[in-house]
Amino acid sequence: MSQDIAGTAVAGQVAMVFDLNKCMGCQTCSIACKVLWTREEGEEHQWWMTVNTQPGQGTPKDWEHMGGGRKKDGSPVTGHQPTRAEFGGGWEFNYDEVFYGGKGRSVHLKPTDKGDGTTRWGMNWDEDQGAGEYPNAYYFYLPRLCNHCTHPVCASACPTGAMYKRPQDGAVLRDEDLCQGSRFCMEACPYKKIYFNEARNVAQHCIMCFPRLEEGVAPACARQCPGRLTFVGMLSDPEGPIHKLVNEWEVALPLHPEYGTTPNVFYVPPLAPYRLNEDMSIDYETPRIPPEYLESLFGPKVHSALATMQGELDRVRAGGTSEILDTLIVYNWLDLFGPFTTDPATLDRTPDKVAVSLTAKRTEPAGG
Amino acid sequence: MQVPEIVDDALDPADKAWAAVPSEKVPLVPVPIEEQPNEYIRTAWRTRPYGRVAAVDVAAVQRGERLLVRLEWDDSDEPNTEFLDGAGVFFPDAGDSGAPLTIGSHSAPVRLWAWRDRTPMQEALPAARELVASGPGAFRAAGLDAGDGENEGARPDAVSALSGGRWAVVIAGDLARAAAAGRMGVVVWDGSNDERAGIGAVSPNWVPLTVK
Repeated sequence: MSQDIAGTAVAGQVAMVFDLNKCMGCQTCSIACKVLWTREEGEEHQWWMTVNTQPGQGTPKDWEHMGGGRKKDGSPVTGHQPTRAEFGGGWEFNYDEVFYGGKGRSVHLKPTDKGDGTTRWGMNWDEDQGAGEYPNAYYFYLPRLCNHCTHPVCASACPTGAMYKRPQDGAVLRDEDLCQGSRFCMEACPYKKIYFNEARNVAQHCIMCFPRLEEGVAPACARQCPGRLTFVGMLSDPEGPIHKLVNEWEVALPLHPEYGTTPNVFYVPPLAPYRLNEDMSIDYETPRIPPEYLESLFGPKVHSALATMQGELDRVRAGGTSEILDTLIVYNWLDLFGPFTTDPATLDRTPDKVAVSLTAKRTEPAGG
Repeated sequence: MQVPEIVDDALDPADKAWAAVPSEKVPLVPVPIEEQPNEYIRTAWRTRPYGRVAAVDVAAVQRGERLLVRLEWDDSDEPNTEFLDGAGVFFPDAGDSGAPLTIGSHSAPVRLWAWRDRTPMQEALPAARELVASGPGAFRAAGLDAGDGENEGARPDAVSALSGGRWAVVIAGDLARAAAAGRMGVVVWDGSNDERAGIGAVSPNWVPLTVK
């Protein structure tokens, strides 16, 4: 068992790996999550799963400079609580005016400006902008969700014990009966993946689709991804791809490890095309995505991870084989999901059959 | 503090009945930083001033089985952003002699009747809630645990008014609980300063209540 700073021993840790070489920014994962979980009042602006273009300011706007997390000595770092305007989104549109008000030829469909700044940012506002100058412009896509950290600062900062790490699989959940909407979790989380539901006065975030996990079904974002890039499994399963990618081959890395929370969502960093010289010849020595930028995201281990990946590519191109690449190609779709391979369409979902135990209500004492 | 009986409902802080009820200025102090429940909150607020409301005018009446407490204080000139203003009164269990500075403790929780201003989106939320408070910010809705003894008919209610830069809030709750406690604490949160949970201004001493 592992022991986190918040004092919760976990029997196993559910984890995810995203292969950034395959993400095409289609946002299917974001929509899958939104349609399933955040369709009610107070959740209009909430996107528990987001895909942002990197380099970019992401969501909430400029989240990487909002503090939170822990220092190397484990002490907390004061964070900024993202404002509603910094998240943006959740817009209302002038449908009546354009479609029914006879102004379709004179008025554009647009978000209604409520004067609160929310129409000047959104969950993928700077999509596809990237960085660099033609012909060496570059960007890649970065899917993000709650990292269900081993040392969740959100749980440590919560004064009521509403945020907690579930013992059976390490998912960080919230008991909405206990949440008083104080939002210290939003300040403390360095990844800024916690939202506030104003209508219900509670914090909300990705729940790792725990009701699906309990039925052996992979999270919606993973299962609906058309790119076959989202692995789900138990971090400690030695036969599973998560363990191999993260611990054995070390090609999957945490995002911003310096935040000190030990996240359990990992990324295979993107190999980049080569830079072009002024005469349009190829500079085979220089990748278009600056290695130092990737290091700022994934830490110094990114260089060895990329070197490992390149080595595997070179071997396969020379006629050899690569277990790493075979794993990342995902010839068999269900290999992505570890023990969570049940098809949700096969489940009996009649109301009286749905388990009433599917709840995030905290069962062990707060402060334990 | 004397708690006279009234006949008519005075939940509205502007009700003329309050004009005849003497009020008492209760000084407030910041809830001590060292008593905040976790290291994150202590770190984030150690060098940031809070507990801005320095005093609150308090009056109380009893009407039938209800205690009505009227609180009035100066609102901040600065606008609220992410948090709204709030206030509450809290009552220890009979026999508990702990200081109100921490709004209860794990071994001696108090009953907190808490009001917070609401946004238009929050109109469906109750104006006041009854919480079991076990320390700064360690608030838990009454009735969640067996033996909490939550009585639906005794749930607190509140009416508020902001006028001339001053908040006036009447919080009404179960008279029997207040009478059994015999004393009351007061807490105020300045929303413009992001005050909430244990980050607020609290009465350092109990306000004695003389309830018939």
